This record gives sequence, structure tokens and C-alpha cells, in this order.
Amino acid sequence: MSANGPQPTPLLRVRDLSVRFEPRMSPALTAVDGVGFDLADGEFVGLIGESGSGKSTLATALLRLLDKPCRISGGSIEFDGEDITTTSQDNLRRRRWRDIGTVFQSSMNALNPVMRIEAQFRDAIEEHSDLRGDAVTDRVRELFEMIMIDPRFMAAYPHELSGGMKQRINLALALANRPRFVLLDEPTTGLDVVVQRSILEAVRRLQKEQGFAVLFISHDIGTVLELSDRIFVMYAGRLVEQQGAASLLENPLHPYSKGLLGSYSDPRADTVRVTYIPGRPPDLSRPIEGCRFAARCPEAIERCQSDDPVLLPLAGGSVACHVAHLQRGPVQDAPEDLPEPTRVFAGPAFVKTAEDSARALRGEVFLEVSDVSKVFKHRRGLKRHSIQAVDNVSFSLRRGKVTALVGQSGSGKTTLARMITGVDRPTSGSIRFIGSDGDIEVDRLPTRRLRDYRRHVQMVFQDPYSSLNPALPLRYTLTRPLRNHRGLSAKQAKAVAGELLETVALTPSRRFIDRYPHELSGGQRQRVVIARALAADPELIVADEPISSLDVSIRAEILELLEQLVTDRDIGVLYITHDLLSARLLADEIVVLNQGTVVEHGPVLDVIRNPADSYTRTLLDAIPNRYLKPAQT
Amino acid sequence: MRYFTRKIVFFLATLWAAITLNFIIPRLQPGDPAEVMVQKLAGKDAQLNPAAVEAMRAMLGAPEGSLFEQYIAYLKALSQGDFGISYTYYPYPVTEVIGQALPWTLVLVGVTQILAFVIGVTLGAYAAWRRNTRFDSIVTLGSTFLGTLPSFWIALLLLFVFGYTTGWFPTGGGYSSTSPGLNVAFLGDAAYHSLLPALSLLISAPIGWILGMRNTMIMNLGEDYIRLAKAKGLPDRVVALRYAARNALLPSVTGFAIALGGVLGGSILVEKIYDYPGMGRLMDEAIGNRDFPLLQALLLFIIVGVLLANLIADLLYGVLDPRVRRAES
Repeated sequence: MSANGPQPTPLLRVRDLSVRFEPRMSPALTAVDGVGFDLADGEFVGLIGESGSGKSTLATALLRLLDKPCRISGGSIEFDGEDITTTSQDNLRRRRWRDIGTVFQSSMNALNPVMRIEAQFRDAIEEHSDLRGDAVTDRVRELFEMIMIDPRFMAAYPHELSGGMKQRINLALALANRPRFVLLDEPTTGLDVVVQRSILEAVRRLQKEQGFAVLFISHDIGTVLELSDRIFVMYAGRLVEQQGAASLLENPLHPYSKGLLGSYSDPRADTVRVTYIPGRPPDLSRPIEGCRFAARCPEAIERCQSDDPVLLPLAGGSVACHVAHLQRGPVQDAPEDLPEPTRVFAGPAFVKTAEDSARALRGEVFLEVSDVSKVFKHRRGLKRHSIQAVDNVSFSLRRGKVTALVGQSGSGKTTLARMITGVDRPTSGSIRFIGSDGDIEVDRLPTRRLRDYRRHVQMVFQDPYSSLNPALPLRYTLTRPLRNHRGLSAKQAKAVAGELLETVALTPSRRFIDRYPHELSGGQRQRVVIARALAADPELIVADEPISSLDVSIRAEILELLEQLVTDRDIGVLYITHDLLSARLLADEIVVLNQGTVVEHGPVLDVIRNPADSYTRTLLDAIPNRYLKPAQT
Repeated sequence: MRYFTRKIVFFLATLWAAITLNFIIPRLQPGDPAEVMVQKLAGKDAQLNPAAVEAMRAMLGAPEGSLFEQYIAYLKALSQGDFGISYTYYPYPVTEVIGQALPWTLVLVGVTQILAFVIGVTLGAYAAWRRNTRFDSIVTLGSTFLGTLPSFWIALLLLFVFGYTTGWFPTGGGYSSTSPGLNVAFLGDAAYHSLLPALSLLISAPIGWILGMRNTMIMNLGEDYIRLAKAKGLPDRVVALRYAARNALLPSVTGFAIALGGVLGGSILVEKIYDYPGMGRLMDEAIGNRDFPLLQALLLFIIVGVLLANLIADLLYGVLDPRVRRAES
């Protein structure tokens, strides 16, 4: 199961590594199951997989930082010829940060809030080198210059830095002792696309200059493909495919890899086709028969249901898939149900053609935002500061159409959404809602009339984990708006709640209606959030990044659902996002916001293909472009 | 710097409000101190002689004039450090009475509070660092158990066992055979007398700190910066102290400063049980005898103590947590 690299002794050699997660209160599970690979000096390897695939657990195991109730239950990890699987923490300590540097996921919190930045570099450097005093300061200055941050910030505390700066500092910190191996665990998750871009460019540049080996973990296959030499794909605790980045892109072997690749596309293409993987990963605490992916796999054959495939070499890489081996391997006795080889994911897809996108904007205007500005004032001591969050913005929404509001964080998208939903009032300008039962001047709406307005306008939030009350079953979540806004009786409301669940494809509804949010997957929760928004029978849905917290493999599924609702119910949607691909898929019209002003406005395909504003171009450039080169059909 | 100025201004405003309340509240209460005093002198069932009451009033210097005039006079006296004359310890001025009691309490309660904090925070941090070990279980369960015992009950138990049954320690008072002064014999005697009361306070006082520190520290141990500190290969001691405990200590600092402010009030029950000549016993007496000047001064002392401690906590927090300074300045 090793990578077939020519190196005699790899820098990192992992064999049959398993990690058990044994909590006291719930059933034990094997989070990482028999993973083996080699990593050569100076190699840049990407590790991709959905949340829950075990990639972060694998990373933590490699660093020997697992905490109870997680433990390495089998296999070995060798670093530079030394077996570190069971060696004591005291022995490991010498290697840590001298040989192995790390940038953790959500590194917003990775710096000690009460220590100055320099001190946090200093302890790591002094612990592992002979540098002392000014020599350390000089080294830190050098590291700061390397990541292009003004060395003045050495004296700062973490909270005085922006998210992007913190993450670049974390990168510099990882490189402080010139390590041979750097583990990057989702280093850009949660950061703005443009900021992500700058960090990944720094990673690539420094890796070229300094030649350290990298294991880059991410769920964002686009970025991983762009940076890595070789890719590992992980699913349900197993390594399911291992290939060179270019060949993975050309010729993915495992259907799961195809599914992940299929979730990206070039938003500028004539026809954009984005696939999604239905279903959800298996419950690892129960015994699994056959292939772990079989239940979600469009290519599965009979054998997949019973035989657990092993990771075996194939076509220059290796893959754990019966179908791939039967199709491309030397095996003779091909079963009858073997499908034709395919490069693309053969599962469901959300397709949008240029004609779809170019449909004339005929829907009747029902929300007009005219010259809206919002200034936030706040006092600091005796001085008053004001921030122009939204500056003279005008656009309109149409029934049965989706308008995408695109911009990076801080561009005023959310402020605008708050004004449209009546949470905030504009400083100047007007927002007029032309409803089916009369007009409403939203900007001047008295608080007591908000309730009536809310009936027409509903929200879908970004994080389905925090937007549902964890203590209440779906029945409550869904019947509440029905009774509040539509005045239904308890019995009627229950029936309608069932219908709503069916509408968002949670069928049969009786299986779901008494469940609690924690019993559902992220995608299912987001469906419930959408069902709740529909409950009031609204005319407008404001969806604030509804897919950005979901796994890439299911995003298109939610987008498709939203589009269907728009068409079936003639609802207008304001779709807030920073992602141009999803904007292309869902929206008819696009409004690009930068620093509170509209910098671009027009039909979605026009804007994406011929961006007039430099900011829109930056957003387009921030999409991993290596992936976009080969034409995707 | 603005953070610190703001805190000081806020302190002064609260202080003024406290002083004013301290003036108003006793005047809203029923009961005439002069009557109580005469009754006490005359015996429980004796008839009150109105002339005697009047004489007593004159002697005590009962307030005259309108409420506003009284208030001005009160502020004036305060600014000169004049709290009046104690009714109970007539003719000693209140300041002198308090001056007698204050050192006793400062030493007894002050030392036990500081010890309790140091012991509590250390045990709590260590229990968190070694969480789910036997040490942690013993500390956590033990403190939960001890925490349910009230300190006066512990005091009675200790007094019974070590004072009366075995006779190892004196059963009351602050000193016995020596006369107060700064000499070894007296200090030894005082320490000997204060051991049981100190122990009574010290058994339950660290428990809050232990549990609080343990919980915040365990929360902190889950933070990313702890994981990074471990990945950096720093020694456990550094990770535990400079990264985990340093952050976990922040909420306890405020609590500690406020607890120190409360020291001035002494510990009424424990001081009464051991007949300890401190502020707590004095307060008990002042209440029992309607000794308004003394009571008022004591309350003011406690309030100023708590406010001052709060101010110190705020200022200290600003020094310890750089985030606070920035958020408000």
C-alpha cells in the first residue's frame, strides 16, 4: 500500500495506521482505518476528503497529539527512519517544531492571546536552537519579512491582527526552525477567498524556496490540486485513492474522487455542470460490509456490496475500488454489471446552460432598493467614529428570480440583508416591498408592523448547526411559523409541516418530523432551515451563504433544491455569497459589492464573463485556476 | 491609558453613591439608640426615664438640624476622618475602636484568603492538567464534599475537638498571657490563638477557587493555542503555566480582588465562635447595640474595601489581559 516513489528512505513512512475513538458515552469507532503512505523529502502532498473522513484525526495522529478518548490503535509512523508511533512525548519533544512544523485549522485561535507575537516565536526558537537574545529577534524579523508583514507587528498581541495576518504569522511560526516537514491542516478555512489566495501563494513560494515537505489537508479540492504534486483522497477513515495531481485531474479512478472533482467547475463556461454525491458517509461505529462508498456510488456493482476493496496500485497511482480495478486492471473475469469507464461522476448533477442563465429578466419587480446607505456610528471615548457600511446602493428583486449579492467579508452584504429584512434601518434611501397584498415601505416600518412583513420575507442562514434549536424536534421548528404567520391549528400545522419536509426532499416526512437537529446531517439540517423559511409562505427568501458551511460534495444538491423552489413557487431569492460558481449556478442576476458600493450589476453570465471591475476579476482569479484549464463538459 | 482613567472615574462615582447611601439607610430604620442604651443601663424590665433618655441623647450627640444639614455635616466629618463616638465603647471614638480590631482581622482573614487563593488556584490548575486521573477525582470530589460544610460548623467542630477535648489550642480570644506589642512572645501567642479560626476558614475557602480554576483551565486546554504549544515541543511546565494557567487565571483574578475587599468585614460567625477581637465580632456588637456611628463606619469601611478591591481587579485585569485594554480604549 505504499506510494511507489523511488526514494530509499522516505521522510515520513506510515503503515497500516489506525486510530480508535472510544468515548465513554457513545459507541467506539475507528476514525482512521489502516492508512499507509510515504512522503518524500520536499514533496508537496494534498489530502482531501469531506468532513468526518478522518483527515484531521490522521494529521493529529501523525503529530502524536491525540487526546483521550482518541488513540493510535495499530500501525506505525516512521519519521526520518525513526519509529515515533510509541516513543515517549519527551523524546518527541526534541523533534517537534525542529523537524515538524504545523499550521492548524482555524488558526484564528492558535496564538496565545496574552502573549506578544515575538514571545511566541521566541519560545519555539529557543527551545530548539542555540539562538538567544537579539539573534532570536533577528530571526523573527527575517521570518516576518518572509511572509511580508511589517516587523513592527512583532510587538503586537494576536487580537491586534487581522485573520489573514494571523494565518500568515502562523505559517512563519511553523517555519521558524526550518523544519523538514510542515503539516497544513485546513490552513485557509474560514478566511476570505482573496486572503486565502495570498496565504496559499506564500505557502507555494516558501515551499519552493526552502524545499520542506508538506502534507496539505483540505476539503477544498481546487486549492489542493493547484498546489500539490500528489493527492491522497480519504473517505470514511480510509485512503481510497492516491495519484499525482495532474493524473488525478485527468483520470480520477475512485468514484468518490470523481464526485469531489465534479463539485467544481468554471463559472464562465457555456454549460456549467456540477455533480453532487447523494446520501451521507457511513456510521463508522457500526460494522460495514463491502465498500464504504457503495451506498453513495453510482458505479457500484454487486461485488461492492459484499467485498471490502483494498488500496492497490493502478495506473501509476493506487485506488481502493473494485470497479476501477476491473475496468483498468489486468483482471479477466469482468462481471456483467460492470459499467463503462468514466472520467466524471456518474451521479446526479446540477446543470446550468448559457441559455438558462440568459433568460430575460421578465419577472415582476417586487422589492426595490433605492439609494440605500448605512452609516454605523460608535463612540470611542469622546471621539465619534462612523463607518460607511453601505453606500448609495440601488437594485431590485424580481419574482421567480434569484439575485446574487457577491462580495468579500466586510463588503456590506450582511448589512444590506439586515436592512432588507427590516432588522436594521437605512441611514438614507428607501426600500420598498411591492407585495401581493399591498406595498410596504420597509425603511420606515414601525417595529410592531415588522411581524406582518416577516411573513413575506424569510431567512436561510449560513450555519445550519446554530440556526436550529437543538432542544426541539423538527415538528416544533416547522409548526411554529405555520401557527404564528398563517394562523393554522395544531393539527393543520402538523400536516403542512409534513408537506414541507416532503418539499425539501426529506421523505418520508413521518420519519423526520419527530427527530432532533443533532440526528441529521449538515445537508439535511439546511433542508430543514429552508423548509422553515417556506413555512410562512414567503415571497422573498434571503439566503445568506446557505451552502458555504456544507461539504462540497452536497452543495449542488442544496442549490438545486433552492432553484426548484424558485421555479415552483415563484419566490424571489436574494442569494448572498462570495462564491462566483454558486452564483452562476443559482442566480439570474448578480450584484457585486465592494466596500459598501455596487461595483458591478447585471445578468449573471455577462458579469462573470466580462467583469468590468477589477474587484470582480480578483474574485474570479481567486478561484483555483489550475483546475479550470482542462475543459469540463 | 483611557481604560485606566475610566475605571478610576467610575470608582469615584460609586464611592460617592455608597457614602450617600450609608448616610441615608440608618436614618430610615426604626428604633432610638438612646432608648436602647438607657434600657441597657437600667436593666431589662425597668421603666424608661424620659429625662435619662434625653440626657443620653445629649451625651451621644444625637443629630440636629434638617436632613440636608446633617448630610453636609456628615460629609464634612468624613473628610476629617471623624466618624463620631462609639455608643458601645463610649467615650472612645469609632476610629479608635476600629483601629483596635482591624489588624486582627486583616491578619486572620487576609492571610487565609490569600492562602486559600494560592492553594485553590494551584490545586485547580494541577487537577485540570492531570484531569481524569486519581488526583483530579480526589480533589474534585473532596472539594465538592467539603464545600457543602458551612465554615461555622467546621469552626465549632474544630473548637470542640482541638479546643475543649484535647486542649491543644485556646478556646477563644486573640491572645492571653501576653500584652499587645511588637515582640516575639506576643506575636507567637497571637499566632497560636489564631490557628484554629484560620483553619476553620481555610478548609472551605479554597474550594471555590479550585473548582473555578479547574473548569476554566480545562476549557482553555481545549484551545488551539494549547495544541500549538504542544506541537511546538515546549516542555509541559511551560505549556501548563505560560499557556494554559496564565489564561485560565484571568477570571479568578477579579474574583480574588473582590474577595479581598470582603476581608475588611471579617468573618462574623467564625470570629464570634472564637471570640476573636476582629472586625466581624465588632460588627456583631454594633448591630446588637444599635451602635450607629460604629455600624456606619464599619459598613463604609467594607464598601470602600470592596470598591477599592474592584478597582484594583479592573486595573490588574487591564494589565493581565491585553484584549481588555484595546476593547475599551
